[in-house]
Amino acid sequence: MIRVCGLRKRYGSLVAVDGVDFEVARGETFGLLGPNGAGKTTTIHMLVGVLAPDGGTVRIDGDGDPMRAAVRRRIGVAPQALALYDDFSANENLRFFGQLYGLTGASLRDAISHALHITGLEARRHDYVKTYSGGMKRRLNLAVAVMHRPDILLLDEPTVGVDPQSRNHLFENIEALSAEGCTVLYTTHYMEEAERLCDRVAIMDHGRILALDTVDALIDAHGGSSVVEAELERPPSEGVAVPGRLNGTSLRVDTARPFETVAQLAGSGLQLRTCVVRRPDLESVFLNLTGRSLRDA
Amino acid sequence: MRTVWTLAKKDLLLLVRDRFGMFWVLVFPLLQATFFGAIFSGQGRGAGQISIAVVDEDRSEESRGLIERLKKSKSLTVFESNRESAATDVRRGKRVAYVAIRKGFGESSRIFMPASAELEVGIDPSRQAEAGYLQGLLMEASFGGIQQTFANPQKMQAQIRKSAEEVAAADDIPASQKAIFQFFFGAMEQFVTKLDPELFKQGAAIAPAKIESVAVRREGRSPRSSFEITFPAAMLWGVIGCTAGFAVSLVTERKSGTLLRLRVAPLTRRDVLAGKAVACCAACVGIIVLLIVLGRLVFGVRVDRPGMLAIAAMCTALCFVGLSMFISVLGRSEQGVAGASWALLLICAMLGGGMVPLIAMPGWMLRMSSVSPVKWGVYALEGAIWRDFSPAEMAMPCAILLAVGAVLFSLGVAINRRIDR
Ligand SMILES: Nc1ncnc2c1ncn2[C@@H]1O[C@H](COP(=O)(O)OP(=O)(O)O)[C@@H](O)[C@H]1O
Ligand SMILES: [Mg+2]
Repeated sequence: MIRVCGLRKRYGSLVAVDGVDFEVARGETFGLLGPNGAGKTTTIHMLVGVLAPDGGTVRIDGDGDPMRAAVRRRIGVAPQALALYDDFSANENLRFFGQLYGLTGASLRDAISHALHITGLEARRHDYVKTYSGGMKRRLNLAVAVMHRPDILLLDEPTVGVDPQSRNHLFENIEALSAEGCTVLYTTHYMEEAERLCDRVAIMDHGRILALDTVDALIDAHGGSSVVEAELERPPSEGVAVPGRLNGTSLRVDTARPFETVAQLAGSGLQLRTCVVRRPDLESVFLNLTGRSLRDA
Repeated sequence: MRTVWTLAKKDLLLLVRDRFGMFWVLVFPLLQATFFGAIFSGQGRGAGQISIAVVDEDRSEESRGLIERLKKSKSLTVFESNRESAATDVRRGKRVAYVAIRKGFGESSRIFMPASAELEVGIDPSRQAEAGYLQGLLMEASFGGIQQTFANPQKMQAQIRKSAEEVAAADDIPASQKAIFQFFFGAMEQFVTKLDPELFKQGAAIAPAKIESVAVRREGRSPRSSFEITFPAAMLWGVIGCTAGFAVSLVTERKSGTLLRLRVAPLTRRDVLAGKAVACCAACVGIIVLLIVLGRLVFGVRVDRPGMLAIAAMCTALCFVGLSMFISVLGRSEQGVAGASWALLLICAMLGGGMVPLIAMPGWMLRMSSVSPVKWGVYALEGAIWRDFSPAEMAMPCAILLAVGAVLFSLGVAINRRIDR
């Protein structure tokens, strides 16, 4: 549905996007995961034809060029910067943007009601956007993106500055859209979101894609081993064989088969106070790929 | 086209909702127009008074009486003069009108023999409001004369007798008719001697003097009131408010991300800019029309040439659309553009007659003012309102406005395109 080849964009001496390739299949939810400044937003802007790439190509559904208005009509975008008119109500924002997508009359009214309904903004539809909370604005930002029923949805960090309740609401909306067959490209710097929502994830840093696969495959390939952490009641007596590294009463075991390790510990006669299994996650993938943590990158 | 209008409507609605924006677009210009208009109008003749010249060609007791009554009217300033200089004063716009009391006015005050027309009012045909008002005042004043006549039975008796003699002497009235008149006059004479004079002092419905209007075209190009100077300037202030508002709104849209959303929508870049331009233009024309209507209804500002005004307003609006587009690229932030726009626009306004009226500028200042598009806007609007421009005269300011607008618009669009790349 989306095919990106050798995409490149520079701002002066800074290379924001440096040869990005990926393909998103129809109906797939695809994640671009990377820290701030990785080049996610720049990539999205090139995907919708707002930015002209310095090199490379973007093709939508066959050979559609997003520089053409007719191709853009099929795409819905929720920009990272809240793109809403603060002095308009939710209703007025939706009506205005709906009209730009050629909706009129009854179909416009239906689209507005539907968008307000799924995002749970009906009660506040006539209030000015400037009176909304951050979460409500994000929900409206999504409502505007989906109101014209696009087949492709580009969501640029749609949960930034959102309370947990709104975040869940947004996730449910996105999952529902995906279930209806919408192709979703989702950028984020929260690995939990990518893990929960995305079929495949591209790890992005400094304008490049470092790895691209399903979440499980990424973890298998780059996540490293699982960790079993245990707290002992008392230090083990001399001569007892202890796996992993022991530090006082804290035990840490790196292992590919964590549950076998737990069983082994349980049978070893050691008195355990607590025992935790940590599977590697996308955070560990990023750490292993870049040497930095996603959070402080 | 519908898309452009959708975009423009959105911008106009946002403008109306922006209190600060509306202050500069509407409230400030209106204050300016009324405040300075009122100050200047206090200087010359008394405010709200119509200044007229009176020519007494009758030199009768009745004509003196009429003049005295006119002088007593609070809404008139009366200057006595001769016919020639009275007409000249009206042509030059020094007096609103002249009233000539023709020979025979006193005679015809006899009740039943109204002569052709005893009063002549010379006034510019465009001044319908004053003409009507003056007519009313004259009726009242001359009617006052009739009242006096009725209130004086002896005088009336004498006049009836004189009328009877005239009818008898007339050779164009058939004898049968003459008999009827004689009978009527006899009865009338009997009647008036028995009248209670007090009754007529309270007023009765009797036809007043006949008034003939003579068209005296004002040839001088001078404003009829100070409001006709302050309102065109105020229109430019309003237009400036719109210009600044729209320049900033483009940056606001870029910063807030809504411009991104517009560009993601299935529109062309041209649609987006055209929407802004149409909205700005409509706002400029709108404020001009609004001020014209207010000026007309409340302050008596009149438009000599409405067609020309439409052209002048359109050219002014288009020029400032271009200026707005240009200003929008003078800064990257909203504050930057707002600062740049007000700095530039205030200079244009000061130079161009927004503060010192063009008509009051010394020669050197007037020459300098030509660099400001504000001057050409004021000039074109005044041309339609009171300067009485011919199409050829109107062509120059309009051509300048359009040319400046076109150049600035292209520049602005080109730079805008580079910013969004
Ligand atoms: N308009 C711009 N001008 C100059 N540099 C920019 C511009 N937009 C983005 N950048 C830079 O490009 C890099 C990638 O930015 P962006 O695509 O916004 O990253 P992300 O969305 O992943 O946080 C950053 O270093 C950012 O500072
Ligand atoms: Mg971003």
